[in-house]
Amino acid sequence: MTTVMNKTVAAPGKSIIEKLNVFTALALGALSAIVVWRLSLAFLPQDADGALIFSREDKITLLSMIAWFVGFMTGIGALVGPFRWLMGKDLTHEENMFLAGKDMGPKRYLRYTTDHKVVGIQYLFITILIFFLGGTLAMLIRTNLGTPTGGWLHPQAYNSIVGTHGILMIVGTIIMVTGPFGNFIMPIMIGARDMAFPRLNALSFWLIVAAAVPLLWGQFIGGITTGWSAYNPLASQAPLGMDGYIMYICIFAISTMVAGANITTTVVKMRAKGMTWNRTPIFIYGVVASVALALPAFPVFFLSQVLSAFDRALGTSFYNTALGGSGWLYENLFWLMGHPEVYVILIPSLAALMEMAPVFTRRPLFSFNVAIMGIAGISGLSILVWAHHMYISGWAPLLNAPFMLTTELISIPTGMLFLVLIGTLWRGRLWMTMPLMSIFALLWNFMIGGVTGIYLSDVPADAFLHGSMYVTAHFHYTLMGAGLTGALAALVYWFPKMTGRMFDKGLSWIAFWLVQIGFNIAFVGMFMVGLAGQPRRVESYAPTFNTANMVTTGGAYIIMAGMLVLLYGVISSARSGVKAPINPWHAKTLEWTVAYPIPLENFDVLPTVNSDPYDYGKAQS
Amino acid sequence: MTDVMTPKSPQWWKKPDVKKTAILWVICTAVIGFIGVEFHVRNIVSPASENMSSIISLITIFTWAASPVAGLVTAICITVLTSKRHYGDNPPPEADHEIRNSPRVTALWVSVSGLLCLFALIGGLIVLQHDNEGVLDTNAVQVNVTGQQWVWSFDYTNGARSQDLYLPVNKPVVFHITSVDVKHSFWVVQMGIKMDANPGYTTETAVTPDKIGVFDVRCAELCGLLHAYMQTKVHVVSQADYETWLSNNAAIEKGA
Repeated sequence: MTTVMNKTVAAPGKSIIEKLNVFTALALGALSAIVVWRLSLAFLPQDADGALIFSREDKITLLSMIAWFVGFMTGIGALVGPFRWLMGKDLTHEENMFLAGKDMGPKRYLRYTTDHKVVGIQYLFITILIFFLGGTLAMLIRTNLGTPTGGWLHPQAYNSIVGTHGILMIVGTIIMVTGPFGNFIMPIMIGARDMAFPRLNALSFWLIVAAAVPLLWGQFIGGITTGWSAYNPLASQAPLGMDGYIMYICIFAISTMVAGANITTTVVKMRAKGMTWNRTPIFIYGVVASVALALPAFPVFFLSQVLSAFDRALGTSFYNTALGGSGWLYENLFWLMGHPEVYVILIPSLAALMEMAPVFTRRPLFSFNVAIMGIAGISGLSILVWAHHMYISGWAPLLNAPFMLTTELISIPTGMLFLVLIGTLWRGRLWMTMPLMSIFALLWNFMIGGVTGIYLSDVPADAFLHGSMYVTAHFHYTLMGAGLTGALAALVYWFPKMTGRMFDKGLSWIAFWLVQIGFNIAFVGMFMVGLAGQPRRVESYAPTFNTANMVTTGGAYIIMAGMLVLLYGVISSARSGVKAPINPWHAKTLEWTVAYPIPLENFDVLPTVNSDPYDYGKAQS
Repeated sequence: MTDVMTPKSPQWWKKPDVKKTAILWVICTAVIGFIGVEFHVRNIVSPASENMSSIISLITIFTWAASPVAGLVTAICITVLTSKRHYGDNPPPEADHEIRNSPRVTALWVSVSGLLCLFALIGGLIVLQHDNEGVLDTNAVQVNVTGQQWVWSFDYTNGARSQDLYLPVNKPVVFHITSVDVKHSFWVVQMGIKMDANPGYTTETAVTPDKIGVFDVRCAELCGLLHAYMQTKVHVVSQADYETWLSNNAAIEKGA
């Protein structure tokens, strides 16, 4: 007891934790990058004259980026805890309270704060930032494609913009639901005081921030000219910007794995008393399925990029056929991550809308068990379908038929999720809000995305459609039309709980219609040029494709207008929106039982659950 | 199981919303099927081989097969959206029933989607089998295709080499495709065939052009700076013209 007392007396004002924040992190990251850069410039041996692969520049770049990463993570305070453990100690209670952000005001958003609500808001902020950057790049692409000859962007700049847009949007969509809402809402929804591993939670967020810098850095040293899939051997001959991509993916993969382990543990171990599996809200299932899928997928992604870095910097030949490797190895590793990854994106969005469907139709979720079966079926099958991206790669033509089978089987669990949504809408009392309309929008967009997916899953049809704009339109229909629609609905739905204010109703409607109309114009045009034979990722195209490309570009501008309205809505509603009541949607999940501002540990008394959150309509029947 | 049927209400198929949905279902199926098929058939390139024709018929069949499902989803959405809607800041009263489940509907839905899935699989397999047999044809015209940043070149058995592809009409062709630098994808657009050109490997694909004319070859895999410009033409000509071209071209090669 006395020792504890002594520590408490000694701690205030002196702890290293209190001195670290994003600024010390940036400074230490930059400093270590510069030091390592100068050192490696001075000491790394020159490549031998006439060497096949000149890798010194890559070594210098990768070492400097790793130095940035280590410096940044040290500067933010990620290593304080592990270092204390090495010394056989741990953080003091005061330090933990400080880390949790108790009584810290806005400054806690700039620190290694462990409170899941702070992390949720941080994730929301970075998701918006990523979409803003990725969307700006999308507008550059569409503007360049407004005329057949493109012209005003240099082909290398264009290719780099396409690649950067791709990877930004992939990362943005992966974190758009599980990041903000999985962190902020999920623990409250299951009646927990925080995540299972609060420091890992902070770690997963700051890793994403650390990862952003190599990607940005890469833009100034040649860019990511390979598209987001970064196929080898194209990637091994790409400029130094590729090293930025490699570092970005590696750090992001660590973040995803850390978040996945954390969220899975939290849900399995920390649900409220009485919240049995059949009383656990469907959104929780979606989040867990998503992060659990990421757990096998992202280590493979990490590995694929590490091997890529070895090929570039150390002269190995994992992907170089001439020296005994194989480009198909990369494709297999990449898509082993790549296909589960699309469901990592989709499932939480779908689950969020399934969570909202009963609230806005005032009736129970139709077939809760079928919803779980659907989510489980998609998750299970999604790790068996990767080679449908490789039908025409020539890797294993004999495996095309089995992969066609597994791919088409996914339509069955996907159909189950459709059944759950239309079953819930049927004879519901519609409460016309933007989240409710998003369910209809999702059904429409995902129907188009799904049916075009069946054409693409068919090997002969894929021989025509693969690599064309049709594929681009298809996956935008699924990831944007379905995924992003669900995420925007989730934003409007949980906005009152996260900010204490209602999202402006009018603005949410305007944004909804602009985005949905613009989206359907843009990507129907893209289907047209795909069918007419325009390949993906081209910077100029035959004049015959011009009309449909103009349509797509026009649609893209409407989407942009909608997204800007939404952004304005987020800012204005968070600053001066109508104060939200404790449960504005009259929903029955636990997060609506705590008032804003939510106390540090969420609940004074931990709740007990004795029914599922969907018992609407009981009173009347 | 709580069902829609209760003693005092009419049988379920006589309820007005069910009737409305049924009518809408028929309309939506027809409209979606028609628009879906027309959209694809009108926009897709006009076929220059049997492969492409069968791709178009596959897409047509799949669209019609999918349209009842899409039609049902749309019909239910329209019925729901045109029933009583509630605007306002407070929720409408809760729905007056609590159907949580319907094993019959679920079973029906899953079996129908299973059957459709099987149907799509069989349709695909039949065409796939037919396409696969093509590459084994030893009597076919053999063309070696080489991709390199950012041009295609074609080698014929008599030693001729060209940048534009020349093919005889109605004669099976087997392409042996490779690359000298990075991955490309050899796409003969109007013939509906595509195969990646991998450095260090040779991949095969086969087609029988069935129309005389000039068609497009494009690269369908991002291959660096000038990927967009990596395209050429395929000239499908009569057998006689093909042989003339082949001998002339071989002569030019030798002369040079």
